[in-house]
Amino acid sequence: MSESEKYDVIIGLEIHIQTNTKSKMFCSCPTGYFQKEPNTHVCPVCLGLPGALPVPNKRAIELCILMGLATNCDIDKEIYFDRKHYFYPDLPKGYQISQYKRAICTDGYIDLKNGNRVEIERIHQEEDVAKSTHHSENNKEYSLIDYNKSGVPLIEIVTKPCIKSAQEAKEFATKIRQISRYLNISFADMEKGQMRCEPNISVQEKGKWEYKDGKILPIGDYKLNSKVEVKNIGSITAVEKAIEYEVKRLVDDIENGKEIIQQTRGWNAEKGVTEFQRSKETADDYRYMPEPDILVIDVTEEDIERISSEIVELPDEKTERYISSWGISEYSAEVISSTKENATYFENLQKVLSPKLGEKDAAIEASNWLMGTLYSISNEKGITVSEMDIDITELALLILSFKEGIFTKNKAEELLRECIENGKDITAEIENLKQAKNDTSGDIDNIVEECIVQNPKAVEDYKSGKDASIGFLVGKIMQATKGTANPNEVRNILIEKLKR
Amino acid sequence: MKIDVKHIADLSRITLSEEELKQFTPQMETILESVEILTTVNTDSVQPMKKHIPLEKLRDDVSREGLTQEEVLKNAKYTEQGYVKIYGKIFGDIEES
Repeated sequence: MSESEKYDVIIGLEIHIQTNTKSKMFCSCPTGYFQKEPNTHVCPVCLGLPGALPVPNKRAIELCILMGLATNCDIDKEIYFDRKHYFYPDLPKGYQISQYKRAICTDGYIDLKNGNRVEIERIHQEEDVAKSTHHSENNKEYSLIDYNKSGVPLIEIVTKPCIKSAQEAKEFATKIRQISRYLNISFADMEKGQMRCEPNISVQEKGKWEYKDGKILPIGDYKLNSKVEVKNIGSITAVEKAIEYEVKRLVDDIENGKEIIQQTRGWNAEKGVTEFQRSKETADDYRYMPEPDILVIDVTEEDIERISSEIVELPDEKTERYISSWGISEYSAEVISSTKENATYFENLQKVLSPKLGEKDAAIEASNWLMGTLYSISNEKGITVSEMDIDITELALLILSFKEGIFTKNKAEELLRECIENGKDITAEIENLKQAKNDTSGDIDNIVEECIVQNPKAVEDYKSGKDASIGFLVGKIMQATKGTANPNEVRNILIEKLKR
Repeated sequence: MKIDVKHIADLSRITLSEEELKQFTPQMETILESVEILTTVNTDSVQPMKKHIPLEKLRDDVSREGLTQEEVLKNAKYTEQGYVKIYGKIFGDIEES
């Protein structure tokens, strides 16, 4: 029996996201700390000085509610904060203001492509801690602390242990990132720490456990294997890789009769392994208590309505619409809708092309251009489609000119590249090509005649039944007209002439 | 009431001697026992005293400058290049957020 047939993988995810606000969670210090001089975005509140009082940020709470609404959660009508105590230099107050008993958002879900549903237990609001880096000099260990990050609004999304594979975990994290970006909740860049993903993983024998009310329970006298938490995951790809590695390690240990201890491990991206950090034999003791410095915040139906109005069409809905209304392939629809920027570009291009091509053909043409030329230029140059700075009406003009047969697709793509690389004006270039075509169109007959004379071997081959050589001749003629002729037209003229 | 002062001290990264533990334990127990008296009061008909505020009335998301780096570092015993510097091994068995 193979290992995957013998064991089930059970994953729960904790995802932290820094939300997009101008000021911090409980004070008015600016949030943009990236590459800023250390300890310059700090005040008595986020420094935890005695007597300073927290003042909650309305926008931050709205963004937490927005994430809850976008992930099908129930939203609490009363918001309570709690203190979570632990001692660490990155936490100046000696406690973090978080939510313990009641989270703002509960009981949500996101559906995956394979039909499985990831249940979200809760989404709660908290504050980020300071940034600490660890060093040593002359065998003396020390840490440097920058409090700019202290107090930046942070939401924590906790799923139930119902994710069944590394691939599902990656898809869920990707969806959370897409929603964050589509709704401007967060930039959610894992490399910059704006989004952090911590999976809890366990491996159990098939048929020996059951999932009930969000919990994993043993069946009969089966003893559940402990779970392992993985930290330090710095990208969405690493979410999948770290889980795959950890699952294999757990299965190997069980197969070799080793007992799994509950532990926290760190992902080492360079080596591609997880490394032991600490065991968790005792339950965490955070001595939670209600935060006495913050009032209970009442959320009304009007608040929910106002926040709901920020929800736009999300990637899954877009993908569905692109496929069902316009006949775009599933793959293209998913790729295009994966970022709001590209989806908007695609929809605008489709709109401009529609009057001439009809809705469906306009969509398919727009999708082909985006998935083909635009993405390949985007990959080569490492810039996004909107950074290419191509006017949509001009691009549409180019596409329509090609559709009208004024030039070939190759020529159109070449022209687009040329314009992006050298900042040339697309409309002017199209005009030039039209002019050139008019100049040569009268000469097509001559060019074809010349080509026949210059390529006797290919002509002979065609006449003796090798149809393929017609392509060679058409290519030669296209070259001679610098791509301005219509290849179908050229082919017809050529065949006519060769019949004689 | 029994209280594990050593555990509380460990969580707070405070080292207490055996003698101090012997001295503090009964003191802290007395404090807790005094507070415990409150739980004997019947509060069945008493409304919670927690005050409420509408979401609408919370602070608008506007940022403004806080302290200068110089002011921030005034309270730090050691500093280095604008950072607060802390000596000692600080990784423990208690997690970050």
